[in-house]
Amino acid sequence: MPVYSLYMGCSVPANYPNYEAAMFKVAEALGMNLNYLEDVACCGSPNLRSIDTFGWLLVNARTIAIAEKSGHDIVTPCNGCFGSLKDVLHHLTHHKDDLKKINVELKKMGLEFKGSINVRHIIEAMYTDIGIEEIKKRVTKPLDGVGIAIHYGCHLLRPLDVTEFRPEILQEMVDATGATVIDYPLWKQCCGATVLPVNEQLAIRLARDKLKSMKDAGAVFITVVCPACGNQLDLQQLGLKDSYGEVYDLPVLLYPQILALAMGMNEEEIGLSMNRVPADPILDHLSG
Amino acid sequence: MTETEEKTGPPVTLIDPIDMTKLDPKFRNDISSMPNGEELSACFACSTCTAACPIANQWDYMPHQLIRMILLGMRDEVLSSKEIWECLTCFQCQERCPQKVRVTDIFFDCKNLAAEEGHVPENVLALGKTLVDKGQLYEVINDWEREDLDLEPEVPGLSIEGIQSILKSTRTGKLVEDGE
Amino acid sequence: MTDPVLVIGAGVAGMTAAVELADNGVKTILIDRKSTIGGNALELYKAFPTDDCFYCFEGNRWRPGIRKCFYRSAMVDQPNIDLKTDTRVKGISGTPGKFSVILDLGPQYVDPKRCTLCGLCTNVSEAFLLASPQCQPQAVSYDPEKTDDGAKKAEDECPTQAINLSAIQTEETVTVSDIVIATGYHEMKPSVVDEYGYGKLPNVITQLELAQMLDPNGESAGALVRPSDGAQVKNVMMIQCVGSRDENYYPFCSKICCVFALKHANIISSERNDSRVSVVYMDIRTYDQHERYYRETRDAGVEFVRGRVSRVESQKDGTLDVHVYDSLLNRYLKFTVDLLVLSSALEPPEAADELLSSLGLNSASGYVGPADPISENEVVAGEHVYACGGALGPAEVPESVNQARAVVSKILQGRK
Repeated sequence: MPVYSLYMGCSVPANYPNYEAAMFKVAEALGMNLNYLEDVACCGSPNLRSIDTFGWLLVNARTIAIAEKSGHDIVTPCNGCFGSLKDVLHHLTHHKDDLKKINVELKKMGLEFKGSINVRHIIEAMYTDIGIEEIKKRVTKPLDGVGIAIHYGCHLLRPLDVTEFRPEILQEMVDATGATVIDYPLWKQCCGATVLPVNEQLAIRLARDKLKSMKDAGAVFITVVCPACGNQLDLQQLGLKDSYGEVYDLPVLLYPQILALAMGMNEEEIGLSMNRVPADPILDHLSG
Repeated sequence: MTETEEKTGPPVTLIDPIDMTKLDPKFRNDISSMPNGEELSACFACSTCTAACPIANQWDYMPHQLIRMILLGMRDEVLSSKEIWECLTCFQCQERCPQKVRVTDIFFDCKNLAAEEGHVPENVLALGKTLVDKGQLYEVINDWEREDLDLEPEVPGLSIEGIQSILKSTRTGKLVEDGE
Repeated sequence: MTDPVLVIGAGVAGMTAAVELADNGVKTILIDRKSTIGGNALELYKAFPTDDCFYCFEGNRWRPGIRKCFYRSAMVDQPNIDLKTDTRVKGISGTPGKFSVILDLGPQYVDPKRCTLCGLCTNVSEAFLLASPQCQPQAVSYDPEKTDDGAKKAEDECPTQAINLSAIQTEETVTVSDIVIATGYHEMKPSVVDEYGYGKLPNVITQLELAQMLDPNGESAGALVRPSDGAQVKNVMMIQCVGSRDENYYPFCSKICCVFALKHANIISSERNDSRVSVVYMDIRTYDQHERYYRETRDAGVEFVRGRVSRVESQKDGTLDVHVYDSLLNRYLKFTVDLLVLSSALEPPEAADELLSSLGLNSASGYVGPADPISENEVVAGEHVYACGGALGPAEVPESVNQARAVVSKILQGRK
C-alpha cells in the first residue's frame, strides 16, 4: 500500500471539507495511505511569492524538509499548495545559491532541505501509483456519458517544467468514471481567482467567460482539482445572475466527488450538499 | 478653472520622446541576475506572451512591452505599474515563449523589487498581514461542516507559528510593520 | 585544343570557380578590375558564418601545403589560371561556345612578379599603396592620380625594377568557350536616403565602412572612433533596411545585412569594452542557421528596437540625437549616439547593365537573372554563360562558393 505525506494547506480544510472527505474516501478505497503532515505551515500562495519570494521559499522549504524526514512523497489536493511546493522544490534543486541560504535558515530550526522526495498532486498520485485500470475496476455506477468540462487550474499545468503534470492525466481519470470529457475553447484559461485581491471585476469576467465557453460547448457540469478554482467557478455563478443576467447552472464538483459517486458512494459521505450550485444534474446521470 | 486659463497655447513639443539617457540601463541586469531572469535578454519581442495573455487587452502595458521596458531600463514605469500585480500568474505567456523567457516568473521578480521599494497594492498587503497575524490565509469558520464529514475540527497539521516566525523576519514582516 | 573559360571578377565566387576549373585541367582567364583580388570579402574584416578573419577562411583547407589561407592558393601559381588584374571587359562578340572578348588591360605600373613588398616605394611616395599584407598578387599598387615627386624616385630606386610609371593601357582579345560572371555586389552609398544624413554628417557611416574601421589593418588600427574627431565611440546605433525592401530604391531584401549587422554588433559588444549597440529594425531576417547569431547578439546585451528613425540631429559635442519610433512599445525614444551605422542596400555593381545587355541576359532587379526563371539552375544565365556569388544578388561567402562550384560542374559536364 503506497504511503504519502498529505499536505492539506488551509483552503481545502476551511472552504472545501467535502473535497477533503471525498479524497479520503476515494484514497481509502484505492488503497492509498494518506498521513497528514504535522506542524507544517500555510504555503502562502502566489501572493506571498509576489511580495516576499525568500519568505515563500523558506516557508515551503520547511514543509518539504519536514516531509523528507518520513521519506514519503508529499501529496496535496490544492493547486495553490501544489504550485508553491512544487515550484520551491524545482527552484531549490536548480538554484544552489538560494538552496544554501535556505538551508542556513532551516538549520536554525533543526531541519535540512535535501530534495529527496517529490511533491505531487493527489490526482497524479492516484493516476500513476494506482492506475486507470485499477480505478476502473472499482467503478460500479459509471456516469452515463454525461458531459464534463475539466478546469485544470493554471498551477497544475504550468509551467510544465515545474509541474510535470500533463492534462491527459485528468482526462483519463474523468474518462474512467464513464463521463464524457467536453472539449471547450477556453480550457487553458485562468478562472480569475488569483486576480481577486487586485481587480474583482476582472476576476468575475474571467470566470464568466470560462463558464460560458464550457456551457456553449455542451458541458453539464464542471470538475476541478483546486479549492480556489472551485470556489471561483462555483461561487461566482451565483453573482453572475445579477451582474451579467446570465444563468449557467453548471455544478462544480471536485474530482474525488465524481469518482466517489461512480464508485457507488452516497452523496452525504462526500458532502455534495455543500457545493454551491446544486449538483442535482449529476445525480440524474448516475446509472443503475 | 476658467476658460482663459485652459488656453495655455500649443504644446511645447508634438512628440515627447523617452530620453534613453535618463533611463536605468542597470535595470535589465538587476532582473537578469535574478534566478528567473537568465533568459531575459533572449526576448526578441515576437509578442507571443501578449497573444497568450488572457487579459493583456485590459492593460496599458502589454506583457511584451513590459519585457521591452525592462530591457530598455524603464525601471520606475515597470515597478509602479498596476500590470505586474494584475498578472494572473497563469503562466501561459511563459509556457509559450519561443525563447524560453520566464515571463511570469520575471513579473514575480518585478513584484518583489516593487515590494522592496514599498509599492504593494493594499489588498495584497492585507494578505501578507493575514499570514503574519493568523498564520494562514483561510480559517475554518463552519467547523460543524467538518464534523458532519468526520473530519477533525481544525485545519489538520497546520503550524500557525511555522509561517509567522519566518515571515516576521523576512520582507513580509517589514511590509506589514511599515503598513501599520 | 579547347578554348579557355573567362571568369569575370576575382572575389570569393570568381576565385573559387577559377581554382576549381584550373584544378580540373581547364585553362581559365580570371580578370578583375582592381589591382588586388578578393572583392568585397577583402573588406569584411571577419566573415560569417565562422567569424574567421577572411584571409584564413576555411574554403580551401584541403589544398595541400596551403593551410587555411585562400590567398596562399594557386591563384597566382596554378599554371592553368591566367590572372589579369586592372582589367575590364570592353566588348563581347562571337557565338556561345566561342566568344570573342576584348579586354581592356590597365597600365601595369608594378610588375607583381618582381615586387618584393620591400616598402621602399610606399616610404617615398603617397601614390604607392600596400592594400593588405596578404594582398594577391603580392605587390604594391600605384594610383597615378596621387602621383608625387617621390614616385619617380621610387621607380628609379626600386631594387627589383618592378615599377614602370610610363606603362600604358593595352587591349587584348581572347577567345573563350564559356563566360562566368562573378562581378559581385556593391554597397549603396545611402546619401539619397536623406533622413539619415549620410554624406552630410561624418559620424553616419555604412556597414562596410564600419567593417574597415573594425579591421586591425585599417586606418584606426581597429579602434572604434568617431570619424568627426577621433573620439572613442561609446554608443553605436545601426539602422537596418536602408534602401532595401523599399520601392523607392531597391525592392528586394539585401539578405545578408541582418547577419552582417549582428556580426558587427557582436564584435563591438564583446571586443570593444563599454560600447553599447542598439539596432533599429523592421524585421530581423536571420535565415537558416544564422538565428544563432541573433540570439548571441541579444545575449551580448545588444538592444533591438523595432521601428524606424524619425530624425537624426547633430549635437555640438559630436554626438547624434536619434529619434526613433518604437512600434512595439508605441512610444518615441531619443538615443544619443556617437556612430550611426546604416545597413545600406546591396546593389548591382557598376556596369552590370552593360554586361547584361551585351550578352542578352535577363535582369533580376539589376543583377544577373537565370536564363530560365522556372529552372532550378539559377547559375545558368545563358548559353555558355554562367553567374555565381553576388552577381546573382546579395550572397554570403558559403553560398557564393556553392554557386561557383555549381558553375564549374555545369562547365565540366558541357566539356565531356
